[in-house]
Amino acid sequence: MADLFTYQNSYLVVVIFLALGILLPIVALSLGRLLRPNKPTEQKRTTYESGIDPFQDARVQFNARYYIFALMFVIFDVETIFLYPWAVAYEELGVFALIEMLIFVVMLLIGLIYAWKKKVLRWI
Amino acid sequence: MDMETLLSYEWSMMAPEFTILIIATVLSLVDLFADKKIDRKLFGWFGAAGIGIALFFLFSQIGHEPAMILANTYRLDAFSLSFKILLLIGALLVLLMGVSYEAKGELLYRGEFYYLLMSALLGAMMMASSADLITLFVGLELLSISSYILAGTRKKSTQSNEAAMKYVINGGISSAFTLFGLSYIYGLTGSTNLADISREISNIAPENGLVLLSVAFILTFVGLAFKISTVPFQMWAPDVYQGAPIPVTVFLSVVSKTAGFVIILRVLLSVFPFAQGLEANTSLLQSMMIFISVLAGITMIAGNTVALKQRNIKRLFAYSSIAHAGYLLVPFVAFSEMMFESMWFYLAAYLLMNIGAFAVIQVMSEHSHSEDISIFAGLFYRRPWMAVMMTIFLLSLAGIPGTAGFIGKLNIFIGALFSDPSRYILAAVMMGTTVISYFYYFGVMAQMFMRPSGSAVPIRMPVGVTIAMVFCAAGTITLGLFPGVVLDFFQTQFNFAEMFY
Repeated sequence: MADLFTYQNSYLVVVIFLALGILLPIVALSLGRLLRPNKPTEQKRTTYESGIDPFQDARVQFNARYYIFALMFVIFDVETIFLYPWAVAYEELGVFALIEMLIFVVMLLIGLIYAWKKKVLRWI
Repeated sequence: MDMETLLSYEWSMMAPEFTILIIATVLSLVDLFADKKIDRKLFGWFGAAGIGIALFFLFSQIGHEPAMILANTYRLDAFSLSFKILLLIGALLVLLMGVSYEAKGELLYRGEFYYLLMSALLGAMMMASSADLITLFVGLELLSISSYILAGTRKKSTQSNEAAMKYVINGGISSAFTLFGLSYIYGLTGSTNLADISREISNIAPENGLVLLSVAFILTFVGLAFKISTVPFQMWAPDVYQGAPIPVTVFLSVVSKTAGFVIILRVLLSVFPFAQGLEANTSLLQSMMIFISVLAGITMIAGNTVALKQRNIKRLFAYSSIAHAGYLLVPFVAFSEMMFESMWFYLAAYLLMNIGAFAVIQVMSEHSHSEDISIFAGLFYRRPWMAVMMTIFLLSLAGIPGTAGFIGKLNIFIGALFSDPSRYILAAVMMGTTVISYFYYFGVMAQMFMRPSGSAVPIRMPVGVTIAMVFCAAGTITLGLFPGVVLDFFQTQFNFAEMFY
């Protein structure tokens, strides 16, 4: 019973954070609008691009292969993240975890073979 | 966990799943390395053999004591066994149809079709025999993600791409609903294991947990309604069924739907009968039945009436499958002792008659490169036997005596009337909408028998799809004339009380 109230009350923190997150930009921007002087010139109105004059359209097309590469990278990145804690705690976890990890690595290996044969790794 | 506990598990319990897993892995690797010239239809026969082996393992498990392995996440009981038989037979027939599917050369990666089907089947089987919310959800997603890709396997067809896109977006939304509901259940009980949840949930006092539990129930049910394509998540069905290749359409309307009912029964029945309901001495499941019965009623009415206006045969059958999902919710609402029996029997009958009807549709639409209802014109004068089989399937779908569909509907009807309290309004809706459904089923029959046929080109009947068709026709008639054989086997072999912990 008491647990349930604690459980429900802990959402109060979430609500406070939500309210803060919404209010902060509104307050900051509207206060800033009241306080700052407003004297626009042609130069000031141009887009700020780290000091240099803006050129080209901001919407550039990327090669779709970047995304597939990025996906592949993320998958194997996550694999290493999972391998680290297992390697550190290897002594306690024992043989069962070793087998589990082998299954995990073999599954990802099949994924790598799939990507290789589907010519994901080749850059044209 | 150490080596001794690992070896002490009875791994043979998972033999059917392992078979399917190995077949799917081997097929995907062979597809990558095998020469392009090798006919990928061989994969279909290989997969069918694999499902045959899995079925053999499954039948040898009948009568096994209910048991759990892998830290109580995998459960073998009468419930999982009986429904896995349906899933495997359904997938086997879909594979046979897939082997004969040509699709005007639009199926560019035929190998993918077979192993994605196997992985989807594996997901469905995990949904049937898991006793933990996490593995249930992983099974659900394995089935869903494989079916999203399957719906888009006709790569050059814009309709197929549209279907896959709609399916993945709607499916994502509904999965989010389900997961949100499950997270409430976890938050209230502190466990993901169904056995633990069913113990813990009765301790929650109504004044605290009732609102949250009701929200959990509604969210979980609404999310899972997507898989069985009932209101409120039914609108994807016509578009996806129309765009997807016919074998995939069958898979979605039979195997995926059966898996959806399995997970609904498993989750809702392990959790909510033990929670206290809105009134004293009732369970939350009983309090929520009015909600499901309204949804079931709307589903039956919407499915059957909208089907009346369809000219495209795949869309017509999509609405018909929505209506059948509505019929299948009736025994769940009635909640009599016959619930499992009548749901299992109706799912078995629906599997046979729907796969059979789609097998005929596949042959006819491949022959005339169209999906309009007029492709059936004069079929009786060109291929009398095929027309007779289609008639059997349509009569069974409509629920005419002598067919499996009639016995299934009768069971549901009796269950709804003799339950306590009697669900006579729902039974009346079911009766009325069944009569409406006669119009569109008999419309197809009128095409076959009363319209002249346009062309005299002989209709080609490939081996795989013919086997599926004949098997389904024989099954529909057998279940219709001698339902006792199956029902007796069912009652003696499967004890559904095992499902509860």
